[in-house]
Amino acid sequence: MKRLGTCAVLAALMTTVAATAASAETIRIGATMRMISENGQKYGQMMQDEFDAINAAGGINGAEVELILLNDECKSDKGVANANRFVYQDNVHLVIGSTCSSVSLPIVDVTAQAEVPQIIPHSTNHEITQKGSEWVFRVPISARYYKGVMAKYVGENIGTNIAYVYASDAAAQADTEGLRDEMRQQFGVEPAYWGQTQEKEIDFRSHLLKIKTLDVDAVFIGALQEPMARFLVQSYEVGIPADVKRLANSSASNAPVPKLAGDAIKGVFFSAAYSDSDDRQIAQDFNQLMKERYDVDKVDHDFSQAWDLIRIVEIALNNAELELTDESLAADRAAIRDAIANVSDYQGLASGPISFCAESTPECRDGNRTPVLIEYLSGGEDFEVGILDRVTMPVDFGLE
Amino acid sequence: MDVVLQAPRNGIARLAAIHPVLPWIVAFVVLLPLPYLTTNNYQIYLINHIGVMIILATGLNIVKGYCGQVTVGHVAVYAIGAYTAAVLSVYFAMPFWITLPSAMIVSMLFGVLVGFPSFRLEGAYLALATLGFAQAVEVFIRVTDYLGSASGLGGIKAPVLFGFSFDTYQTYYYLMLPFVLFAIYFAFALLKSSTGRAFMAVREDPVSAAATGVNVRRYKLLAFVISAAYAGMAGALLAHMRPGYIHPNNFTIIEMVVVLLMVVLGGIGNIWGAIIGAILVTIIADLTRDLYHYQLLAFGLVIVGTVLFMPKGIGGLIDRYFVSRSFVAARDKTAERVRTQLDGDGEG
Repeated sequence: MKRLGTCAVLAALMTTVAATAASAETIRIGATMRMISENGQKYGQMMQDEFDAINAAGGINGAEVELILLNDECKSDKGVANANRFVYQDNVHLVIGSTCSSVSLPIVDVTAQAEVPQIIPHSTNHEITQKGSEWVFRVPISARYYKGVMAKYVGENIGTNIAYVYASDAAAQADTEGLRDEMRQQFGVEPAYWGQTQEKEIDFRSHLLKIKTLDVDAVFIGALQEPMARFLVQSYEVGIPADVKRLANSSASNAPVPKLAGDAIKGVFFSAAYSDSDDRQIAQDFNQLMKERYDVDKVDHDFSQAWDLIRIVEIALNNAELELTDESLAADRAAIRDAIANVSDYQGLASGPISFCAESTPECRDGNRTPVLIEYLSGGEDFEVGILDRVTMPVDFGLE
Repeated sequence: MDVVLQAPRNGIARLAAIHPVLPWIVAFVVLLPLPYLTTNNYQIYLINHIGVMIILATGLNIVKGYCGQVTVGHVAVYAIGAYTAAVLSVYFAMPFWITLPSAMIVSMLFGVLVGFPSFRLEGAYLALATLGFAQAVEVFIRVTDYLGSASGLGGIKAPVLFGFSFDTYQTYYYLMLPFVLFAIYFAFALLKSSTGRAFMAVREDPVSAAATGVNVRRYKLLAFVISAAYAGMAGALLAHMRPGYIHPNNFTIIEMVVVLLMVVLGGIGNIWGAIIGAILVTIIADLTRDLYHYQLLAFGLVIVGTVLFMPKGIGGLIDRYFVSRSFVAARDKTAERVRTQLDGDGEG
């Protein structure tokens, strides 16, 4: 019993020492992301490496940045648990997360209640910034911008008789419904076909065979990486001709899609935040860096968005006046929020400038408004894409 | 060890001798300051989560542990409870005090549905049938726009009582605590009742139970319905907890494995075991979140290992400790009596 008591006292002392050490001149950042794929882990690794590099270069105004990286597996309950741990136990100054919209959506409520700034690396669901939280900022392009630019290009250049199939994830659903609604609004057309697949379903031929009989101009596929590749391959297997254009949501930007789909990716048209065929010097340097560091041949937009997020956070932290004491935690969090809101015309890997502002409206918090229109020229390991256009959308687009 | 285990046991026995509900009232009072003993809100969030898991695991223990019915559909009924409460709150603006009983009633109706196959199926076959039900419910939610489909359903209101809102983890704890204690109390009361004995008779040997006059079908169905009520309560409590958001990913077969682990590790058919299992597994899962790649593998191995080497779980170990202790005490007492007698004979 006596030994037990001694152990308890020692444990309490160690906890106190650890807590004291953690609070000294450290900016704590909690990141929750989907890190169940190889690329997902690399996004997390890149964040860790970049913050390590910032620390190695002297930190932020002399303060060290501590990144606490947790996996949420794209599950909302785990994401909420991570966010709660960050804001209440780790006392972070900033939350980064998440990859999946269905995780970011409830986390917005957690950070709003705890009054901690949250910056989103990958989620596109438009509702995230429409909740009205003054603590949330989004680096990726909102689904409301994607749907607008896609609908305009598709309606004017490809046709309006579109079949839609989508997988059961929040982003795919939002992207598909968004394009359908926008086609209705801009061209007054209804879907030629509308179908949803089940989670873990791998045979989509029943949908595709029906679509084959409909003589459509294009098939829109809303899905994450693996199901999208399967959709594309199977669309050729069932005999949908090559002149029926294949359209995809922004997940088509992820490198595994062209590698898995092979030749079936050729001609697929989608919009994303970044293309690795971007000929700007900053993009070429970034591609080179990712190749050297993580052996990534083709850099997708989730890498670029995570990179832009780190740079924006770095700018904001440098501009924020932080005291970094236990007593100043709430004030520091508010200062970081205000500093992110003051980031304007950030020019990074995104195809247009990223700007935020103080009001808690989607106009202010959806900072990136410039989707890139991209077409796959070839698939496989050495896939190639071509940039068709870059379009900066009106700030209030999709809010009517 | 003796002090740690025996003192509370003796204390509870003394209180129960005064009135059966008294230990629960004392437990309520003792647990009241718990949020103030934690160091941050995250720990209170975890405690609330443990509360939900205790109700869920206790419910599963009734049908699996007491009545011996192998079900994998418990997580589906949990989802039905959560979504019933969510729909009533979000679309019909109904208060928690209506959504919770409604969730329990709807879950009980589905409990009947899950229970019917048990009339004709047993063991692995019943598990397969209920697995199909669990998958069907998850898929149905995932494709139903009204239920938020793949985007999840948010905006579930926090419970309000006389104008007081349970909208923080701390206040929610005080809402959760009576429900958890009531759920445990009811499980104990059930175990000691004729219904509980009938459940156990069905578990041990349905044919013998039927021969002694137990209506096997009725009690099997009753076990599923009571278990579903627990799942419905747990679902409603989960749905209303901040941030008031549920998603089909929260009710997959993986979640079922985790609840099953709680019951198996804690001890099948042992109420305290399910509670210990819920607490341990939730805390261990939280502490090992970074090792998620190996978590399910580890959970699976623990289930197999427990079934092979510790079939009655942690609760069984504790029970065995008390039984062997009672045996040793009785043996010592007998030895003492014999020794006294022998001494007396010698003197004579």
